[in-house]
Amino acid sequence: MPLAPTPPNRGKGRPTTRESASASLGAILNLIRLGKATTRQELERESELGRAVVSDRLATLSEIGLVVESELGIASGGRAPRLVRFRTDLGCILVATLDQSALGVGIADLSGRLSTEHHEAIDLGADARSISDRVVSLFDWLIAKHAPTMPVWGISISVPGPVTHDEETLFLEYTPSFLPAWEGFPFVETLVERYGAPVWLRSSIETMTMGERFSGAGQSVRDMLFVKVGKRIGAGLICDGRLHRGTKGAAGLIGQMPVQAGDRTSTLDALAGSDMIAREGLLAAQTGRSPLLADTLRRGGTVGAIEVSQAAQAGDPASMEILGLSGRLIGHAVAMLANMLNPDLIILSGTMAQTNDLILAAVRETVYGESHPLVTRDLIIGKSQMGSSAGLVGAAMVAIESLFDPACLKDWIVQASPLAHPLFQSVRQTCGERKTMAMARPAEVPGIPAQTGSAP
Amino acid sequence: MTISGLGPHGERAAPAERIALTETDIAAAQEARFRVAIVLHTLSSDWAKQQIAGIMATFGDCATAVIEVVDCGFAPEAQIAALDRLRGEKPDAIISIPVANSAVAEAHRRVSKAGIRLLLLDNVPTGLLPGSDYVALVSADNFGLGMIAAAFLDPRLARGAAVGVLSYHAEFYATNEREIAFNKWMMTNRPDVTLHVRKFDNIQAAGSDALALVDGHRDLGGLFVVWDTPAMEAVKALRRAGHVLPVSTVDLGREAAIELSSDGLLCGIGAQQPYLQGVAVAQTCVLALLAKQTPDWVALPGLAVSRDNVVESFQKIWRKQAPREVLVSAKLVTDHGGR
Repeated sequence: MPLAPTPPNRGKGRPTTRESASASLGAILNLIRLGKATTRQELERESELGRAVVSDRLATLSEIGLVVESELGIASGGRAPRLVRFRTDLGCILVATLDQSALGVGIADLSGRLSTEHHEAIDLGADARSISDRVVSLFDWLIAKHAPTMPVWGISISVPGPVTHDEETLFLEYTPSFLPAWEGFPFVETLVERYGAPVWLRSSIETMTMGERFSGAGQSVRDMLFVKVGKRIGAGLICDGRLHRGTKGAAGLIGQMPVQAGDRTSTLDALAGSDMIAREGLLAAQTGRSPLLADTLRRGGTVGAIEVSQAAQAGDPASMEILGLSGRLIGHAVAMLANMLNPDLIILSGTMAQTNDLILAAVRETVYGESHPLVTRDLIIGKSQMGSSAGLVGAAMVAIESLFDPACLKDWIVQASPLAHPLFQSVRQTCGERKTMAMARPAEVPGIPAQTGSAP
Repeated sequence: MTISGLGPHGERAAPAERIALTETDIAAAQEARFRVAIVLHTLSSDWAKQQIAGIMATFGDCATAVIEVVDCGFAPEAQIAALDRLRGEKPDAIISIPVANSAVAEAHRRVSKAGIRLLLLDNVPTGLLPGSDYVALVSADNFGLGMIAAAFLDPRLARGAAVGVLSYHAEFYATNEREIAFNKWMMTNRPDVTLHVRKFDNIQAAGSDALALVDGHRDLGGLFVVWDTPAMEAVKALRRAGHVLPVSTVDLGREAAIELSSDGLLCGIGAQQPYLQGVAVAQTCVLALLAKQTPDWVALPGLAVSRDNVVESFQKIWRKQAPREVLVSAKLVTDHGGR
């Protein structure tokens, strides 16, 4: 991890408290931010710092505006303590989820609470520039409506595939590889330059897992396995409360695991994903094995994975068999992971898992049947209730957790804004230069396409 | 007709057939004799009256009793008080239009936590989730309505024209969708057009806000207002000030229908089908009470209403005769003056 430049000390004498105490300032701020301590007494107990130090750090945090200490709490004998509160309205987080067929955007405060969200249909196969322009246009609308005077502290984007990276960095200064069609397009640079805020890119599995961890069923668990079932099948893993990304950010690609169904051996994606469900459903409709789906075809409708899922929920035997097979194959893979990881909770998500109960039932049956009794004794397996919102909420939490990570926080806390982080200042300049170069000399900048059309 | 938009959490719209009641469903509901309460933003608008009519007709068939219909007067405090009070009545379900966003979110969440099935109309406070916090949202395809309104304004706009967008200040899913869709349609189909947005806080302020928009941009060639009542306030204010510019909006209220038919400033309307939305929410409610699977979002397509089809559209939407002024404008009756 690159080290941020150290802020210069004062010319003479000792450094100020602000300069020398950023670690304890950060520790106290995070206790307040996460609601682990809301009074001076609780801060002393949780931080294991002395009364004078806590008092000094609180005064500093109040002075620079990160916390407020005003409301009175409940007295436990004697004077009622003052409550300390983190100011979640100091900045906002812009979030977006890019899916194969839908774009979601939202704006969150610094607790990760969404003020609003909007979803619309897109074709991710269209050119990267038009989708990037649409994201920018919607972000502009969100800012104008909800935060016209509030600085953007971070932008977090969820994308369909894994976001690979060669080394962990505090702030992205170029667009990492995430989809072949976006290769070379300066998406991150565009956003950093326009909004002057750091950008995070994560896979949809990672952001949905974070959303479920912080706002869904995973709020009170330490270890959680999140499985998204769609065209691709992927897993997100929360270990000891933190997202496990893997060395290259590609953890959880369980859709690549080989599985066997009858005499066929292929990947889990191919034999249990929504493409298989749609294909088998169409076949059942055409051969008349499913009267319900055959009727849908006769009426001029289409038979896709959603229709098969709805038919299964309505009791159509052929559709139930297709989804049962998908669920059992997913269950085998999940059981293997459960035996390895011993999670508290397994959550199934994605359109296929959320539009019917059959996949959940088949996964439960398989996992309970194939796992060690100790693994399943207190294990809960359920469906996500968050839908596409999990991705947006999780994206916001990716940015917030990164901004308030002690390694990042220590270098901006005394300036009271992550936008003043020395490393981000240099990243911002680099992004601006790359963008300017792309506009001025498109042909001479490898991998960066020329700018066309008008800015939104 | 297709649904253009996505639901509040990115859901795909379920077709109305998905929530149709079978004879078995109706018989089961009649046996169960459910009790339902309704909490609306207002009871005075035509839209609200038609929603209620659709709900009542469907519940009537199912022997489901409506124990109370509350008018919140657009006030979040009134809605919170009503929901908290109704929880004590222990109805089987409550149908509600959240009149605000975060202000009323917790009051709605308390309803579901009390074991009462919650059905939402038109708006979902941010953070409330289908399945856990409410059963389903039933609304118009508001994204599609915004696109219809944009398409109506398009032929009236000169190349390079400026267009005003009068949007609602409050956080409301339906009006947000209309505004975003209008903007997107213009950016996609008329990139030469420049949009100028102004927000109004309440219906009464819409007229002065429209004038401020025109005064701030003297080259304004058209105006979009996110629903008909403020649109009519804007039309009246513009007319008083001597401004003539085409206006498009959403919802075919009585005044808007008269204005549209008389070749006034209104040039076209994207209209909801409130009666059918009322039917849809009542059907979804009955299915949920019978423990049947229900979709997260049920959406009904909007209708494109122009001067040419305003009479039949009015009848289709409001299930009653069009106002006499509309019939006169359409030359379907003779104007005897003052009647």
